[in-house]
Amino acid sequence: MTTLETYQRGLLDLVKNRGGPPTDPYLRRVAAGAEIAVVREIAIWWRTFQIESQCPLVSRVLKHYGCFNQTVTQYFDANRTSPFVEELTHQFLASLCEHNDPFLRSVSRFEQALLRARAGSEEKQVILFDRNPESVFLALEGTGILPPAEPERLYRMTVDRRLPGMFRCTREENADAGEPTAG
Amino acid sequence: MASVDDTAVTRAAPALATTYEGDDIAFLERIAPLVDMIEISPDAIARIDGKQAQLRPEVLEEYACVGSKVRFIAHGIGLSIGSFDHWDEGYLRLLDELFDHIDLEWHSEHLASSVVAGESVGTMFPVPRTEEALDLICERVRLIQERYRVPFLLEHVIHLLPDAPAEFTHAAFLNAITSRTGCGLILDAYNLRCDAMNQGLDIANFLNELDLRPVREIHLAGGVEHKGFQLDIHSRLTQDATIGIGADILRRAPNLRVVTFELLKEAIPLLGHDAVTRELSRIRGVIS
Repeated sequence: MTTLETYQRGLLDLVKNRGGPPTDPYLRRVAAGAEIAVVREIAIWWRTFQIESQCPLVSRVLKHYGCFNQTVTQYFDANRTSPFVEELTHQFLASLCEHNDPFLRSVSRFEQALLRARAGSEEKQVILFDRNPESVFLALEGTGILPPAEPERLYRMTVDRRLPGMFRCTREENADAGEPTAG
Repeated sequence: MASVDDTAVTRAAPALATTYEGDDIAFLERIAPLVDMIEISPDAIARIDGKQAQLRPEVLEEYACVGSKVRFIAHGIGLSIGSFDHWDEGYLRLLDELFDHIDLEWHSEHLASSVVAGESVGTMFPVPRTEEALDLICERVRLIQERYRVPFLLEHVIHLLPDAPAEFTHAAFLNAITSRTGCGLILDAYNLRCDAMNQGLDIANFLNELDLRPVREIHLAGGVEHKGFQLDIHSRLTQDATIGIGADILRRAPNLRVVTFELLKEAIPLLGHDAVTRELSRIRGVIS
């Protein structure tokens, strides 16, 4: 490995907070300094800013959960983040579409479907919510409390760029209370 | 080979340029009468369409609206000319596309690596000032000069991290690149100020050692201090100390063609159109 490769790979690992302590003397000096934390903070700040501006719903849900910055930081550390905002946000949302939390999963899938529809996708997608999405959106826009799950109901969100506003919600009473999944 | 003319001994007042990255036509109409050139960052006006980035046609149309009033230069962010393995071909495809649509007087990039082993770093690493890196940079500059028949300029980036072991001083490294390749330079007065504040760079010594003949462009910008470090986030108006550095370069660089006020797109609504136009008028007054 050339010196240039050693330095660049080592600095990337330090910015991404991965790998063990460096063995190279220069990289050890960087790792011990205050500067690398600032560089890392700036890199994550930009990703956070981009995700927040492109994915307002998911960002607000994560903030309600108190884990927005932590989630973006973990995503930055563990993934190859794209410099292009559309790709970054789609990949970030995709990483949450299989999240353990079914509500966060639904919001992520909905926001991703909406971004695709706005970008011109003709694909129709159905996302099931375990609570009233309208109440969810109102809560996320303000400072309200997120509504609780409604075990006896399911809300079927259809995202389709041909629909007015690009989505429509229908409520299903007494639904078989299986876990909401994308249709 | 497209290279910078270093024979001029006198010159007219440099042109004034500023950045514009689209989506605010009212702002573009305000600034266009105040500047001579618009700086375009191809990566900043691109979107991913499927697997490949493409320039946004609506932004190209905005540039076309003012094409009779201003000239254009390109300033890249994502070429990653200093990466050990390869540069970003995707950036060059965007630049090709830009050249297809707009007459560019020259184009430029940062002397840095932003992609390492195919992975975006999320920031820019300066290139270590070594013979190894010099050979790599010079070969890539040569390839770029063969590909595009307009001058190519490199801009030094700030050094937030401690310097890697170096075989050249800052100025000697830039001198070696420009003398070997004939490429031009952008001197960013704010970056120099950041380096002085963060790393103790002696700007006077740097400028005394640097061959100023290849300097074609000066960048002016303002930023913020964070945790004791001055950051190159172009979110503020230019401080007088930065203007002073720019004026010093302006007086000494015989082939200087343009002074560019750089401002993040995201900062424009925060500062307001009036503040930006006043800033452009102020800089015009300094350089005229």
